[in-house]
Amino acid sequence: MTGRPARARGVIGLVEERCTVCMLCVRECPDWCIDIDSHVETLPPDEEHRRPRSVNVLDGFAIDYALCMYCGICVEVCPFDALHWAPTATYAESSAAALVHGRDRLGAWEADVVDQPPLDARAVVVDPGPRAR
Amino acid sequence: MSAIVDAVRSALGEAVLGADAGFGSTTLDVAPARWADAARAARDAGATYFDMLAAYDLEADGFAVVAHLSRPDAADHLLLRTRVDRDAPQVPTLVEVYAGAAWHEREAHEMLGVSFAGHEPLAPLLLDPSAPATPLRKDVLLVARPSTPWPGDKDPADSTGRPRRRTPPPGVPADRPREGA
Repeated sequence: MTGRPARARGVIGLVEERCTVCMLCVRECPDWCIDIDSHVETLPPDEEHRRPRSVNVLDGFAIDYALCMYCGICVEVCPFDALHWAPTATYAESSAAALVHGRDRLGAWEADVVDQPPLDARAVVVDPGPRAR
Repeated sequence: MSAIVDAVRSALGEAVLGADAGFGSTTLDVAPARWADAARAARDAGATYFDMLAAYDLEADGFAVVAHLSRPDAADHLLLRTRVDRDAPQVPTLVEVYAGAAWHEREAHEMLGVSFAGHEPLAPLLLDPSAPATPLRKDVLLVARPSTPWPGDKDPADSTGRPRRRTPPPGVPADRPREGA
């Protein structure tokens, strides 16, 4: 990605391996643009004499960029940093329906993320407080 | 410090109900009856640039109307604010002082139903005729909300049959359609 600031907030991408289907982003989204399909699988226990484990498995993750207003609440709320900002801006489509981007498109944007440059010497770093940490 | 703020204060005296210096700007609260007088005092003190006027919903406290007036040659500016009752939201128009306020007042009337005395008719500006009346009032329900299934109703645990208490999203009536219902 050339010509765009490293911290540009172009689009929101997904790192699928980190998603635990907690549904927090879907429920926090103010304009309901995230849709997750999932199911629960039962895995054998880690050790003998333990109960089998239930795991949420992601079947589908779609963000409707015709609705998204780029507020970034989903990125903030994600407990495992599965959602991230990418500097990409070239994902226009010729119809609104085609702006619903699924796992394949959302996952590809991770490659566009560049290393963040060090903060400017004049940057003011605000301590978020003990609750945020 | 700000010549415009001082001019409005001296012109209105006791009619300046309060001041707020948050975010590096001075906001002066005035009574609705003195709204146009305050703007005229600011303009006569050099605030010739009418930047914007907007209204917002304070629910039980009525509506606030804010105007941002500035003096381009001196980097001096002022936020003027007034509060009107919910039952009869009306303030005097600023069109006599700043002609450019006309569009902003039409928008505030269309979005929140605030009317501006002396500026009639307040013709619709932006909304489609089919849009609900005063859509930015907080008690107006978005039509798309009750008719769209909330994606947050989905739960991975559903396939195991475990019931789960769900918090409904804001702006949605309790009898909304449920995913899979």
